[in-house]
Amino acid sequence: MMTTSERAPAVTLADPRWRTRDILVTAVLGVAFGVVFWFWNNLAWSFLAPLGPFQNLFYAVWLIPAVLAPLIVRKPGAALFAELLAAAVSVIAGSPWSLDVLLSGFVQGAAAELVFAFTLYRAWSLPVLAIAALASAAAAWVHDWVIYYPTVAVETQLLVGAAMGVSALLIVGVGSLVLVRALRGAGVLEGFPR
Amino acid sequence: MIAVRAADDRALASPLGRTSPVAKLVLVGAWVAGLALTTDPRPPLVLGAVGLAGAVVLGRVRPASLVAGLAPLVFAALTVGFFNALLNPANANPAFAAVTSLGPIRLTAPAISAGVALSCRVGAVAALGIAFGLTTDTTRLVDALVQQAHMPERFAYGALAAFQAIPRLAEDLVALREARRIRGLRASWHPRILVGLLVLAIRRADRLAVAMDARGFGSGQRTRFRSVEWSLADGVLLGVGLAVLVAAMALGRGA
Amino acid sequence: MPAAIGGRLDGELLVGGCQAGRDPQAQVARRVGIVFQDPESQLVMERVDDEVAFGLESLGWSAGEMQARVPVALTDLGLAGFGRRRTARLSGGEQQRLAIAGALAAAPGILVLDEPTANLDPAGTRELAARLAAMRAVRSTTIVLVEHRADLVWPLADLILALGADGRPIALGTPAEMLERYAARLAGSGVWLPDSFVGRAGDPAPPDPREPGRVAGAPLLEVRGVGFAWVGGGQPIFRAVDLDLGEGDRVALLGPNGSGKSTLGRIASGLLRPTTGSVRLAGNDPARLPARELARRVGYVFQDPERQFVAATVRAEMEAGLDAAGRAGVAEVAASLGLPLEAFGERSPYTLSGGEQRRLSLAPALARRPSLLVLDEPTYGQDRHGYDRLVDFFRARLGSGTAILVATHDPRLVADLGARPFELDGASSGVVAA
Ligand SMILES: Nc1ncnc2c1ncn2[C@@H]1O[C@H](COP(=O)(O)OP(=O)(O)OP(=O)(O)O)[C@@H](O)[C@H]1O
Ligand SMILES: Nc1ncnc2c1ncn2[C@@H]1O[C@H](COP(=O)(O)OP(=O)(O)OP(=O)(O)O)[C@@H](O)[C@H]1O
Ligand SMILES: [Mg+2]
Ligand SMILES: [Mg+2]
Repeated sequence: MMTTSERAPAVTLADPRWRTRDILVTAVLGVAFGVVFWFWNNLAWSFLAPLGPFQNLFYAVWLIPAVLAPLIVRKPGAALFAELLAAAVSVIAGSPWSLDVLLSGFVQGAAAELVFAFTLYRAWSLPVLAIAALASAAAAWVHDWVIYYPTVAVETQLLVGAAMGVSALLIVGVGSLVLVRALRGAGVLEGFPR
Repeated sequence: MIAVRAADDRALASPLGRTSPVAKLVLVGAWVAGLALTTDPRPPLVLGAVGLAGAVVLGRVRPASLVAGLAPLVFAALTVGFFNALLNPANANPAFAAVTSLGPIRLTAPAISAGVALSCRVGAVAALGIAFGLTTDTTRLVDALVQQAHMPERFAYGALAAFQAIPRLAEDLVALREARRIRGLRASWHPRILVGLLVLAIRRADRLAVAMDARGFGSGQRTRFRSVEWSLADGVLLGVGLAVLVAAMALGRGA
Repeated sequence: MPAAIGGRLDGELLVGGCQAGRDPQAQVARRVGIVFQDPESQLVMERVDDEVAFGLESLGWSAGEMQARVPVALTDLGLAGFGRRRTARLSGGEQQRLAIAGALAAAPGILVLDEPTANLDPAGTRELAARLAAMRAVRSTTIVLVEHRADLVWPLADLILALGADGRPIALGTPAEMLERYAARLAGSGVWLPDSFVGRAGDPAPPDPREPGRVAGAPLLEVRGVGFAWVGGGQPIFRAVDLDLGEGDRVALLGPNGSGKSTLGRIASGLLRPTTGSVRLAGNDPARLPARELARRVGYVFQDPERQFVAATVRAEMEAGLDAAGRAGVAEVAASLGLPLEAFGERSPYTLSGGEQRRLSLAPALARRPSLLVLDEPTYGQDRHGYDRLVDFFRARLGSGTAILVATHDPRLVADLGARPFELDGASSGVVAA
């Protein structure tokens, strides 16, 4: 079993159908990060404000579900579903950005989703995760520029973008890989593709 | 624990509580979009005030719940405005006089007014979100999203089931930290807590999924125990709401 | 659903003519209703009536049929008038009956109950047993009940199937036959038997000599006028609790689901600060002790073992927070818990069976010898062997002067430890110490 599957890499498409378990695991992750978002939106982010543009070194907390959930369930749409649900939960719980969080969630999730779709949901290596995380951060950067910081100087914007990129690489790219390793070690990801 | 403020029964029985959640969502969406287009502080002040008044009068939301929901958001709105003012390029422009300055940091009048406008916008958007949340039942929201907005139902009800688990997730966190303390380990923060939290969350998801599968979830065409129908009130709400939006925006343009 | 949980099914399982695990889930769901051990983790919807309707909606019932069926299903389980209540605010017993109502609403031919009473208080258990007896009398549904509790099963069952530790069947027969012919074998494999039979099943030594009902040894834990209310939770769940434990003393916290047993246990062990009143552990406020000090003095066993694991492997879990001397003794502790490190050391605590997790959760208390042990439902879901091993361990600890505060629904454990019952009476304010 082991040796045959190692020698013949899967040539079929990953099964795109969602089992109930895929839906629930993605949803629970989305909801859990929605609570994290709530905390981040209402408390943490304001306290990081004195850092100025470097505040964005912590930005990627908002991007985790868009990479972590698809990395676990590996289904088309998981990035979008998890990120949108997390955004929705944080809105319901009360957020200073209100419904705009849904738009943020959408662009962030969709950007990561596109990267995964480009690999046909088959490649889950660190480089792919890193690119997905960067794409998500780039989408967030453009969105925030247009909506929240239209008047901020361009040099500052570049600094903001760079900080968000670093944050995405470390927190999302590397972070989700490490987390999934730990979860697999704990034995709770049995029945999910690896 | 975690302050996910739920609408109370009084608010749900109110006129605003009984309108279609989708209609409310569309309206709030339109208002928020409108607010994104203006840099004048007046439209957000008007729309925010109308939203809050609507929640109290039509939605019978207790003012105390509104205040409790808004308090942390007001703080966030102020910091956003403040830092936008601070980072505004107008500050570096010698053509504008500094209103106040601290060493090399200057704050100019255009920067301050831009910051104030932004604070108003963020505050208004937050108020609308709270007003929506405190007059909307989550189950009915999902019913309406499935029936009226044609959202995929397996995902919608899966998300709803996960949403019910939020208080449990919060208790998991408390328990994991207590477990560390009683073992003489640093309790405040540790990566293992995050892993433990996700482990418990995934376990919970698995149990829910099995329970839902066992009841035939997603196995065929789903029928509706509670149907959400469009009503006249939804039309009135949308009509009046859009009129208010237009009026508020006109106020801004007139400046 | 073996595919979904990453397992494999051998042989064939025919349910009312359709093949479980192979035929579409809907066909199986129409024929079989399942209820699990943990009442709250199987509830899907926010309100009671939506919860009952959830399965019917999935199976495509018409709105009219559902409107008619839901109240009937609720009434059948003694939940008439509960329709608009929030599921999260029901007691454990009510939640469990709601889960059964949800499973029965679609009138399946078979109802499978997996340890439905494991987390229930005695009243909830009695109520559930009465409902099951009523269903049995009507004989419209086949009930498959998976249970450790013989006193619940024996009077209800027409047929009993006993499984051994290896998962192979030991015997199948009517309750009377089982006792007549297989009692010794069942007892030998750790299967619980009805109370009247327990005496013959290799009963452990009689309770230890200390007199129950008085404070023995030096005073250790003093709880004075303690009350507790959750922040934003309104009414206090208890007020003015007084409780004393001396060395080698034991007290059992009893009371219905939600009466605050776990909460009081957490307060006594310094994990939670009381709203009013004070707690003293050998003169100190345990809530103010540094973690290391607290860990030396108090062992706390959580109601849900999975919530207390702090490490990635069984070995690391046992070593967590110990000094070098303590770590050297870990192998011995592991062996005495039936979790030898050679076999279990590198496994994840989360992949152990429920019984193994329960025993692992005792490891910290074994390795450190704290002077106070707080145990939250330490014996639920255990077979006879597991139970005996735990009781022996607790008795040995009592003998060497450890005090035990145990929250439990199990009167047998209270008796076997010779513990003073301490009643938390739920909704009302005061507390009666017997
Ligand atoms: N973190 C929390 N926040 C708010 N309320 C809580 C929290 N944890 C428990 N409660 C409530 O406190 C009350 C007491 O709970 P506790 O767990 O102590 O009861 P218990 O007697 O141990 O019940 P059981 O027999 O089901 O174990 C319950 O009403 C419960 O819903
Ligand atoms: N997801 C899983 N992965 C690996 N092994 C498992 C899994 N679930 C259960 N097992 C193992 O299968 C065996 C039987 O488990 P099961 O839960 O059916 O036992 P049980 O008879 O219900 O026990 P209990 O009385 O503790 O509930 C156990 O040894 C357990 O460790
Ligand atoms: Mg079991
Ligand atoms: Mg308890």
